[in-house]
Amino acid sequence: MPLLVFLLKRLGWMLLTLWVVYTVSFFLMRSVPGGPFDSEKQIPEPIRRNIEARYRFDRPLIEQYGRHLWDTLHLDFGPSYKLEDYTVNEILAEGFPVSASLGIFALTFALTLGMTAGVVSAVRRQSVFDFSFMALATLGVAVPNFVLASLSVVLFVFVLGWLPAAGWGSLQQIVLPALCLAAPFAGYIARLTRTGMLEVLNQDYIRTAYAKGLSQRRVVLRHALRGAVLPVVSYLGPATAGILTGSLVLERIFFLPGMGSHFIEAALQRDYTLAMGTVLVYTLLLFTMNTLVDLAYCIVDPRVRLEQQA
Amino acid sequence: MKAPPMAEPLLSVENLQVQFRTDDGLVEAVRDVSFQLAAGQTLGIVGESGSGKSVTNLAVMGLVPQPPGRIVGGQVRYRGRDLLRLSQRELSRIRGNRIAMIFQDPMTALNPFLTVAEQMTEVTERHLGHSYRQALARSVELLERVGIPAAAERIHDYPHQFSGGMRQRVMIAMALLCQPEILIADEPTTALDVTIQAQILELLKQLQREEGTAIILISHDLGVVASLCQSVLVMYGGKVVERAESETLFANPRHPYTLGLLRSIPRWDGRSEQRLMAIPGQPPNLARLPSGCSFHPRCPYVLERCRRECPPLEPSGHGGDKACFVDVDTVHDTVPTREVSP
Amino acid sequence: MTASQSQPQPASNPTAAESDEQRYERLLAEASTIRGVSLWQDAWRRLRRNWMAIGSLALLIAMALTVLLTPALPLQSPILTDLDHRQFEPPNTRPARLDLRQRLAEFESDVRPLREQLRTASGAELTELRKQLSARYAVEHPFQKLWHKPDWLSRQLLTLRVALFGDWCIPSLCGTDQLGRDMLARICWGGRVSLVVGIVATLVSLVIGVSYGATAGYLGGLADSLMMRIVDVLYSVPFIFVVIFLITILGQGDIKAWLDRHGINQITIFYFVIGAIYWLTMSRVVRGQVISLKNEQFVEAARTIGASSRRIIFRHLIPNVMGVVIVYLTLTIPAVMMFEAFLSFLGLGVSPPDVSWGLLVNDGIQVITRVRIYWWLVLFPGLTLALTLFALNFLGDGLRDALDPKMKNR
Repeated sequence: MPLLVFLLKRLGWMLLTLWVVYTVSFFLMRSVPGGPFDSEKQIPEPIRRNIEARYRFDRPLIEQYGRHLWDTLHLDFGPSYKLEDYTVNEILAEGFPVSASLGIFALTFALTLGMTAGVVSAVRRQSVFDFSFMALATLGVAVPNFVLASLSVVLFVFVLGWLPAAGWGSLQQIVLPALCLAAPFAGYIARLTRTGMLEVLNQDYIRTAYAKGLSQRRVVLRHALRGAVLPVVSYLGPATAGILTGSLVLERIFFLPGMGSHFIEAALQRDYTLAMGTVLVYTLLLFTMNTLVDLAYCIVDPRVRLEQQA
Repeated sequence: MKAPPMAEPLLSVENLQVQFRTDDGLVEAVRDVSFQLAAGQTLGIVGESGSGKSVTNLAVMGLVPQPPGRIVGGQVRYRGRDLLRLSQRELSRIRGNRIAMIFQDPMTALNPFLTVAEQMTEVTERHLGHSYRQALARSVELLERVGIPAAAERIHDYPHQFSGGMRQRVMIAMALLCQPEILIADEPTTALDVTIQAQILELLKQLQREEGTAIILISHDLGVVASLCQSVLVMYGGKVVERAESETLFANPRHPYTLGLLRSIPRWDGRSEQRLMAIPGQPPNLARLPSGCSFHPRCPYVLERCRRECPPLEPSGHGGDKACFVDVDTVHDTVPTREVSP
Repeated sequence: MTASQSQPQPASNPTAAESDEQRYERLLAEASTIRGVSLWQDAWRRLRRNWMAIGSLALLIAMALTVLLTPALPLQSPILTDLDHRQFEPPNTRPARLDLRQRLAEFESDVRPLREQLRTASGAELTELRKQLSARYAVEHPFQKLWHKPDWLSRQLLTLRVALFGDWCIPSLCGTDQLGRDMLARICWGGRVSLVVGIVATLVSLVIGVSYGATAGYLGGLADSLMMRIVDVLYSVPFIFVVIFLITILGQGDIKAWLDRHGINQITIFYFVIGAIYWLTMSRVVRGQVISLKNEQFVEAARTIGASSRRIIFRHLIPNVMGVVIVYLTLTIPAVMMFEAFLSFLGLGVSPPDVSWGLLVNDGIQVITRVRIYWWLVLFPGLTLALTLFALNFLGDGLRDALDPKMKNR
């Protein structure tokens, strides 16, 4: 029951957020001077007709807004402003799986690599592992992902020739971009895990666990890990936002046909309908992820109630 | 219970020395501490915070965090084996099984992320090879023993759903799961309300009677020790300063520090003409211990010799041992300790 | 905590024979020997022990000085192209020529007739000639040709440079790019943009975040929950996308022209847009601090001994909030710089002929091909950027450890 209330509340907030983003984008688009769309010089005639039919420019602004909102509510983002014969929905449907798999791979890499390194560093404090992992982690945090990605393209693709350069389809092609995308987050997660672990290992209940005669392995994995990953769990929200952002660059460097590429293209080409559709999808993704993170937090920490999270 | 041969005590700590490396330098937390514990005996260890009483017992359990801690010397003999020489793996078979420990603050000593059942069952699963079902049954049995109502249901709750006193009961139940021979209770009542304190002490007393478990009770509270223990060890600055049977100690304290401790307890038995006394000064800084007897800066009977030499622990001639050059009887009334200022 | 270390052991055993008066006197004397260590001294002492943080601090100061004094350094021109001879020169120590003195002399002789006319002219002619002269200064002066729109301070520093170093300039230690421009000079000038964006945008976020957070925390109750709700909603907005959207729209021809007329260039927009996203966390942090401090016992204690609100705010609240804010600042600057680099990389940020580190990396990547790898074009700007971010991160961590009272004595 509290779960249902929680989800409903979240749904409400999400709709509100989407509406805010939508409205801001809509009026930003319309605020371009010299009329909504006709300031652009070379619009192919069919697109112009599509758009004019769609946006009903002859009607007052508020009616346009209402009707457009109505369409958007039905998940119809309208025709692309630049790509002839494509609707925004089609482009998004094409790009979403690419971006989603890249993001999921990256998040998985970030979590597994980061948490492993963090736990090992904390348990073997002041060891060679600790120092090298933490140096790597700081490097990962400080080096911008496009620098990392460019350098690894040079190294792995051009110099060593281990991986295919760009494109999409095979597992090999996703590993390098996903790793580059994951690197800063893996580094941050490693540091969070290490700090969290060190803090937890100093807790009284860890001493109790040892006093019960449990092995170090069991103490670390069963008793300490849960508390140590709490900061990581709360970081997952911002991490998701960061991964969405980072995918813009990575998709561009590796020529992946994802939503990010489309978005940047849309932004550079001033394809407003596509840009708006992408922003809405990203907002939706981020909100869903934040909700999942809050749910996960309640599962990991029994002291936190769902009601407080809503 | 399985009583050891009379000659050998169950646990004997000999010349234990523990150091800690801190920012302020090397801290000698435990300096040459020895004591013995017979099966079924209750021993109290009394001292201010920083006197080394907790560290002594953590060393017995092999729980001194290393680093920064280091066990420099001594032996902890349990049933003929030196626990300090055992590997962590061997030691972990004894911990929680033959020697169990309960800690000061039940709020933090239980893992907040696991249910009581999860935390209790793993003990007998590990030491007695129980299945989860057996372990759960044993855990519920123990929870009932320590007086937790509706134990079979409450065992699936998380620690934060219990009150402080109840949590300490859970801790005690958890420690007793494998019927240990020795139970080390580190300030088990300090963090609790006064009424709950009495209940927990009563519980420990009752369990000790029924199970015959030897108990080491660590406390800064002489009253708590007096109510439970047969013999008492008084520690100061990492050393044992007095050792005696409780009745002897309370009736006839031989060390000025013990005397000071006894005088600082409020008494309600009508002898109101005796004013409450406090021991002047601060507990010693372990990184910079005074020369000679570490109590000398605070001692009302201090002799010139105390500043140079460290008195050994020797029979006091009154049925116990003390580490002091002074015979308190001879100076008792000549130099009063300072009164507590109102 | 810290005072106990310097506390002297009582010299002699106090006895009950001591009178009250004597005792209070002794206590007073004892108290006056205990010297409290202020939060900042204490933090500095801790920070000094952390050699990584100190090293980072030194590096950052060095970098800031270099960047600040860039016009006065004998660097080559960051925008002078040489397509005939100097394309893709690898790092080298061959002497480079800028012929600054000669160029200046030529320019002077070019405008001399104009100056002489000016001396004799009067009335409307005078203003007309003045206009002409300043127009020529704005276009033809070597400083204008070799450096992109140097501001007043940069021009002064450039003059200083000519006086100090004359024609001599540092060889292309970092190579040259596809248009034959000197990489070292571009990195230094790009650093000006990158660092300024980092600092200014962070300050913008600081102002917004601190005032918002402090207001919410101070007001409390309904206003607080409402304000924090808004922050929550904003957290769920993928701001990067909105920002890119915004920048695109603001970069639209007409709007851009309008903004340019009002003296607002892309970089200024940048400061505000980036600052406007990074205030969310700052506001949360500050609010949390204010709320916890409001209920803190030492504030209560200060109040009970009759301290005024002003004293409480200045002596207790601000120093305590400051710590968190400073730590957060050092961690925001790298984030902002990274974001600037990120946008410039995507071609949405700083636009040529302005340079920034992100832009330089992007330029380097653009010319990488399978056949030839001009490694210096990626390595040097990338390394500079990474090193700066590295140092800022280390300094931020060090400061947090030094200032966070919770981490004390660990």
